[in-house]
Amino acid sequence: MALQCSAPRIPIRVTSKIQISHQQVRHATLLRRPKRPYTFTQLVTLSDGSTFTHRTTSPAPVYKSTKDTRNTALWNPSSQKLLNVEADEAGRLRAFRERFGRGWDAGAMNTRDQETGEVKEGQEESQPQEDNLMDLISGYGFDAEEKGEAKGVREGKERSGKRTGGER
Amino acid sequence: MPRRQEIITRLTGSMRRPTSHICKTCRLSLHQQRLASTATASAAHAAPIEPPPSGATLPSTTPSASLRTTYKVKASILLSRPPLLTRDLTSFEKAYFLYQRRLNERLAMPFSRYFYYQKGTPGDVEWKRKIKERLTPARDIGVYNAYAKEGWNDEVPVGANESEPETQVDALLRDAEVEVLTGEEGQEVKKHKVEKPMPRTTEADLLGDTKSLDRRLQRTLYLVVREGKEGKWWFPNDVLVGKESLHTAAERIIVQAGGMNMNTWVVGNIPLGHYIHNYGATSKTQDKSEELRGEKFFFMKGRIMAGQANLADNKLGLTDFQWLAKDEIQKTLAPRDWNGVKNILSER
Repeated sequence: MALQCSAPRIPIRVTSKIQISHQQVRHATLLRRPKRPYTFTQLVTLSDGSTFTHRTTSPAPVYKSTKDTRNTALWNPSSQKLLNVEADEAGRLRAFRERFGRGWDAGAMNTRDQETGEVKEGQEESQPQEDNLMDLISGYGFDAEEKGEAKGVREGKERSGKRTGGER
Repeated sequence: MPRRQEIITRLTGSMRRPTSHICKTCRLSLHQQRLASTATASAAHAAPIEPPPSGATLPSTTPSASLRTTYKVKASILLSRPPLLTRDLTSFEKAYFLYQRRLNERLAMPFSRYFYYQKGTPGDVEWKRKIKERLTPARDIGVYNAYAKEGWNDEVPVGANESEPETQVDALLRDAEVEVLTGEEGQEVKKHKVEKPMPRTTEADLLGDTKSLDRRLQRTLYLVVREGKEGKWWFPNDVLVGKESLHTAAERIIVQAGGMNMNTWVVGNIPLGHYIHNYGATSKTQDKSEELRGEKFFFMKGRIMAGQANLADNKLGLTDFQWLAKDEIQKTLAPRDWNGVKNILSER
């Protein structure tokens, strides 16, 4: 009963409140200027020499890009010039080859395959994936042996009788 | 019961009940829809479908009793080179952009040099030296200082070229020059200039070489060819062979006309447009039953990425080619042909 009595009173109060605050008031407030950073016009030169200007916060007047869509092989699939480039500006690939030989090169791996092809065909035909990997390792040994650096013996052909998972 | 009735009506496809509450036009359209949906089921109501055109000829819509009029169906390739540069700005646009930049100079926060250059570093010294000449951090708005007393005076005088993009680029390049003090006591000042970008007009533009692809860099160029000596200029085209599609025909025409030294891409399977060329009075009669009235060209869109056309051993009997923009094509084509293709060609 108490609930039923109090229920009709509530909407009356609410309506009276709305009527009081009906008038809109806007007190004078300071509208701050948006903090926009200072922007310069910059001339961007892409790697193929094409240029455009844009607005930037960088104070450098000219920006020259060394790597962009104009000299990436992915964006230039028909460019022969880009396909054969081996980017080795820091000389890291050269340093790697001096230390580990060229056995890791994709091209060198194929030639070695052809040389010793007949030996492998008889031995392990069913596992081309592992075959390649083993060849990589033996390739390193082969290179190092030639230079007289390798300490171990080549173990590519005389392997132990232990069978790997792929041979089954 | 009413629900079951509804289901029954829906299954049988009868629209009698709902149509009684619908206005006349809607009822008409619904009736047509029903016909279309049940066309396969009830063949009696379906409209007769015309047999598709076979071979290289299209039957005319009004065949006469004695002579059947036919057209040659030809595929044509609109091989285009897209614009390589953005268009030149209009004088209004140039003025507007300069005005906006000078306005921005007044509205944006001032440049905080200490944030970008540490005190005493060469960059800092260089900045101070250059801003003495410029008066403002911005390089491309001419001599204008938004914080000086004359800051309100941002209008460009008549004849000034500060709003020209070339002038602005020059200003940027001049600012990028680095001065290096050389000599034993730092007496000589050596300036390292920055390379200027290539001009927007090329050599082929100056020479008027319409065979070059390095011309009119702001416009789309189209390949137009001439068939036979003193023939008219037109786009490379050929009759469809057998059951060839338009796409494969377009690829074949490119190779047969321009040779293999072009890296091209035929964009879609659907033609951009078509053009019917009537022979008029000179219509030919092939045999007793058929009258060849003209040619129908279906234009396919193609793009050239690299390479150049070479007509040395083309199989379409072409003698000459040009790469032309739309306005030049208008002058080259016959007026009737131009009317047929002008809306297909790109304005820029």
